[in-house]
Amino acid sequence: MWRRSASFILDERRSSNSPPMADTTRGPFPNPDSISAYYQTRAAHHGVITSDWLAQAQAAVGGVSGEEHSVAELGKEKSFNVIDEFNSWRKQPDLAEAVAAIRALAAVIRASEATTMMELEIELKKASDTLKSWDKTSISLTAGCDLFIRYVTRTSALEYEDFNSAKSRLLERAEKFGEISCKARRIIAMLSQDFIFDGCTILVHGLSRVVLEVLKAAAQNNKLFRVLCTEGRPDGTGVLLSSELSKLDIPVKLLLDSAVAYSMDEVDMVFVGADGVVESGGIINMMGTYQIALVAHSMNKPVYVAAESYKFARLYPLDQKDMAPALRPIEFGVKIPAKVEVERSARDYTPPQYLTLLFTDLGVLSPSVVSDELIQLYL
Amino acid sequence: MPDVQSTVLEFVNKLRKRKIEGSQATARYTVELLRSVISQQRVPHANQASALIDAVKAVGEQLVAANPVELAVGNVVRRVLHIIREENLSLTTAAMAGLDLMDASDDDELDNSKGIGYPAMSAAVVAAARSTLRPPSLQTLLEGTPESATVPYTSSSGADSESKSKSADKSSITRKLKHDVIEEVNQLIQEIAGCHEQIAEQAIEHIHQNEVILTLGSSRTVLEFLCAAKEKKRSFRVFVAEGAPRYQGHLLAKELVARGLPTTVITDSAVFAMISRVNMVIIGAHAVMANGGVIGPVGVNMAALAAQKHAVPFVVLAGSHKLCPLYPHNPEVLLNELRSPSELLDFGEFSDCLDFGVGSGSPLLQVVNPTFDYYYLDYRGGHNPSYMYRLIADYYSADDLVM
Repeated sequence: MWRRSASFILDERRSSNSPPMADTTRGPFPNPDSISAYYQTRAAHHGVITSDWLAQAQAAVGGVSGEEHSVAELGKEKSFNVIDEFNSWRKQPDLAEAVAAIRALAAVIRASEATTMMELEIELKKASDTLKSWDKTSISLTAGCDLFIRYVTRTSALEYEDFNSAKSRLLERAEKFGEISCKARRIIAMLSQDFIFDGCTILVHGLSRVVLEVLKAAAQNNKLFRVLCTEGRPDGTGVLLSSELSKLDIPVKLLLDSAVAYSMDEVDMVFVGADGVVESGGIINMMGTYQIALVAHSMNKPVYVAAESYKFARLYPLDQKDMAPALRPIEFGVKIPAKVEVERSARDYTPPQYLTLLFTDLGVLSPSVVSDELIQLYL
Repeated sequence: MPDVQSTVLEFVNKLRKRKIEGSQATARYTVELLRSVISQQRVPHANQASALIDAVKAVGEQLVAANPVELAVGNVVRRVLHIIREENLSLTTAAMAGLDLMDASDDDELDNSKGIGYPAMSAAVVAAARSTLRPPSLQTLLEGTPESATVPYTSSSGADSESKSKSADKSSITRKLKHDVIEEVNQLIQEIAGCHEQIAEQAIEHIHQNEVILTLGSSRTVLEFLCAAKEKKRSFRVFVAEGAPRYQGHLLAKELVARGLPTTVITDSAVFAMISRVNMVIIGAHAVMANGGVIGPVGVNMAALAAQKHAVPFVVLAGSHKLCPLYPHNPEVLLNELRSPSELLDFGEFSDCLDFGVGSGSPLLQVVNPTFDYYYLDYRGGHNPSYMYRLIADYYSADDLVM
């Protein structure tokens, strides 16, 4: 009796009606492109040349830059600095996103003229809101900002005699956070060593710096194992990862993304990183992770996630579309007819029942521990 | 000191020769041994917790090396270490708070030099001390460890500059640590000794009238559990899988019949055939791992698979000394004991026909993956396998995992 309606037609009609309304709902500093800045930066780190990047490069050479005009119009000096600062930190390929965010907030503290902790907190909150609204798609950015604000609030509750000493302490901790992030990667590498046994085959998806650290440590401990890398279109992460691993003399094999189920039989474990770990214990990661986790689960292979603890975010996606859309340009090499749509989402959500264990700097956790940790932090 | 050393060596020998049967007995002897180690240990005034921890770790390493398959040994050693750390933490924070109060109360008596900055600093130092002694969490991520080195120094320098009454208090605090630890260790011994009774108290809630229970092998906890339900006038049947080749199921069946329970012995291969007629499967575990995996007698995986297929509740009984904070990396090899194949075959039967042995041995234990949804019962109640991390966080410290 109830026939399935062609929802894709209804959605299209609705989306064609809504553009006039969309502009008004944007924040004070909208990202002019609907393309996710986070994934753009990741692509830049990977050295991927997309048409988008070429257009920007051309525009820069031509001396016209559309983005800066819209931001300069609004003329608020301080907020302008935060985003610039953040971008400059983010461009460094070895720096984690959350570290860049916290360094940007540290710059806000340094430049601030507040005389009380309350004022400083308000300024920081404003700066963090600006950063978050500028790039809604980056989870580690949001999580890093929240963590730092939370830390500031807790520190101010400790009644320091002297505002300046409190301020300098905050600055010092923010600077140290970069070291914490590196230490976190080393702890994760150490914890995961026991799980990599001699003669195992590891399937890796995406180019996570943490997973690379894990594999490096295993190679240094003289473990014999081989790695299967998925190609990772459109970022080409597979080729990059395989070149890194071959430098370490680890046997690597490249797979097409669609060859994962075909090769899953010979795989002993799957290792992925995470862009963010959500409250349910699931992860948000590069497109394709969910697929691989499903295949691994159906074949009883463990899926291990290596993520630092500051990536825990207070999100609870109910399905794949329940997150802020993060789009990225995808090249097919040939021209696509105008009427054909392309699924441009850069990431997917893997529910916790498909994950076996999370390796974090807080220890080896099962997915149910994530919500516990978040509750302890926020409540 | 020397007689403690000789008791340790004696115990190590017993463990190595597998003279002590059963996790409960092993755990109990281990804790009693550690208690005597702690009470004999002479501790310096500063950093005494670390002296105790080092002593216990040294003994613990020997014990674990003697019998690595008996995980209860490692578990209780880590419990004792956790107790030492917890008592140290509570005493340190109490001491800080105490010094703080004393500073505020007798200002006029003391010199000005130390009264000024101390109360204000103590709050931050206490917080930092708490964060360094606690396991790592998101809250403490940014705090780092600049204060940890200064904590004992401030307390000791504080003691020096204050009046004699304060330093007398300080030495009483040092004695208190050992005393508290030994008290807690005694409680631990009580807990281990009474684990069967405590779990059996919950039997009445899980076993109902006219039910059919399936069990495997022979576990004292399961025996007590079933008998407790019988005491409370529940009438139910028990099927016992015999557990070849050791046939422990026969022993359990005899015990159950002696206590008046209608029991049937079935072969291991009949488990899948009977499972559709069974209301609940109850198993005693050898150990429960940190990821929720259960180590049980051989055949338990088969029972778990059968139970999952027919949606039969699978209950695992284990005392808290069986809860292990480690992950089963290679359970078949590392944590298993291979008994002689003579249990399976008589000598001479096959060895004439074949050049190599039929098998290297018959394994004693088997791991059940935590993907099976089972119900873990310990003295505090029932838990899901995904809840294991909470129990482990309560009983163990992260620093003690690698010994």
